[in-house]
Amino acid sequence: MFDENDIKLLIKALNDSGGYDFSNYSLKSFMRRVEKVLYDNKIDIYTLINAVKIDNVFLEQVVRDVTVNTTEIFRDPSVWQALKYMVLPRLHARKEINIWHAGCSVGMEVYSMEVLLCEAGLLENSKLYATDINTDVLLSAEKGVYSCRNSEEYMTNFRKALCVNPFNREEQINIPPQKYFDILPAKDEFRVKPFLLKKADFKKHNLVSEGNPFGIKYDIILCRNVLIYFNQNLQNKLFAQFWDYLSDDGILVLGIHESILGPLTAKYEKKGLIYQKKLI
Amino acid sequence: MLNIVIGGSAGSFPIVTNILAKLDKSFSYPMFLCLHRLKSVRTGFVEALRLKSSVPVFEPHDREPVINGHVYLAPANYHMYLTKGNTISLSTEEVVNHSRPSIDITFGSAAKSFGSKCVGILLSGANKDGAIGLKAMKDSGATIIVQSPQEAQVKTMPMAALKITEPDFVFTSSQIISYLQKLKE
Ligand SMILES: C[S@@+](CC[C@H](N)C(=O)[O-])C[C@H]1O[C@@H](n2cnc3c(N)ncnc32)[C@H](O)[C@@H]1O
Repeated sequence: MFDENDIKLLIKALNDSGGYDFSNYSLKSFMRRVEKVLYDNKIDIYTLINAVKIDNVFLEQVVRDVTVNTTEIFRDPSVWQALKYMVLPRLHARKEINIWHAGCSVGMEVYSMEVLLCEAGLLENSKLYATDINTDVLLSAEKGVYSCRNSEEYMTNFRKALCVNPFNREEQINIPPQKYFDILPAKDEFRVKPFLLKKADFKKHNLVSEGNPFGIKYDIILCRNVLIYFNQNLQNKLFAQFWDYLSDDGILVLGIHESILGPLTAKYEKKGLIYQKKLI
Repeated sequence: MLNIVIGGSAGSFPIVTNILAKLDKSFSYPMFLCLHRLKSVRTGFVEALRLKSSVPVFEPHDREPVINGHVYLAPANYHMYLTKGNTISLSTEEVVNHSRPSIDITFGSAAKSFGSKCVGILLSGANKDGAIGLKAMKDSGATIIVQSPQEAQVKTMPMAALKITEPDFVFTSSQIISYLQKLKE
């Protein structure tokens, strides 16, 4: 086993040798991730610390392994309903819509957004930007091919997100998932249709240290289930940065069980499940 | 301050509803529920629990400060960790015992954060999640209660706990309720 001091040594080694700063990750969950890395590799913490100092390939692997990549197609459908009915309608007037998925994991959130935009007739005018610190997930994201293991949940999410109108439950909306996905259980493949691929710009980016990855203003920033792994200081720093990077009436979408606490509460207006940038 | 932590799976829903209905309005301890739910029943669960509850029930946000007398239900698809600073932290790490939320995780965090200032209760359920966590709570001084397997709709979960640890009480659901009612005195 290991203690907080050992973790500090590891964090220092990851920073010195790889330039990855985990010092503002939430300590508890970071320790759990490290425990998992030690268990999976059958090594102790000191071996791990030494290995990341001398082996850069291994260091990159450790960085990928400490991240939590859980995601879904249309995760938390009520958020997508909010986007569909409360946010997208007012973007129709835009010539160009810029959307950033910060911490996009394997891209399911990005393709869900493309589907939503497509149904709203906004896909052509939209530019999707998606970033993650983990290069493995970015490779899967570009391919848009997933396992079928959770496809039933994806389909349930899909129907709730797209076919239920929370303001008028009587309304019948019918959108077949096959329009957007090829589901091939025999091959264990859940594939995003080719016309949705290549639309988004996937890029490696570290939220802790790298600022605005594309140097533009975004109409929507989604950063869902990423900040729960950061401590309060780092969360606050990011809420401030997102505020800077949002267009004047920009929207910030957090995970459904995340909220802005602390000093930045004043700079956003919470509207149901989404945060609206407040100009002050 | 005492913390009440309850875990359950198949067959536990009516018991939890009953507990919440019978608690006094002035129940002053924080209560945490980690209940497995069917994958298809992601939403509406907290509302269903609220219907008859005499105390307020919430699905917490990450870092939510805990308020005495409130009940916190682990949200669908998140592990719920209880912390020393009396906040709740959520995580989407890997499923544990095929479950997210996992009872072992919530119980384990309660053992670490609350030590003896805690009551752990494990109810009916069809898998082994919760047993190891309950043992950890016992080992760190908490009072632990297992629903009597005879009464439990599905006994796998209580049995798994009884196999590895010796609870302070093996109670029927009505005994659990009167235990909790007396706690406030
Ligand atoms: C749990 S996933 C969330 C995926 C998606 N947003 C969702 O909610 O379904 C969190 C992602 O954040 C990424 N991440 C963690 N730390 C990061 C950092 N410092 N910079 C960028 N991405 C990071 C992880 O690699 C992981 O893919």
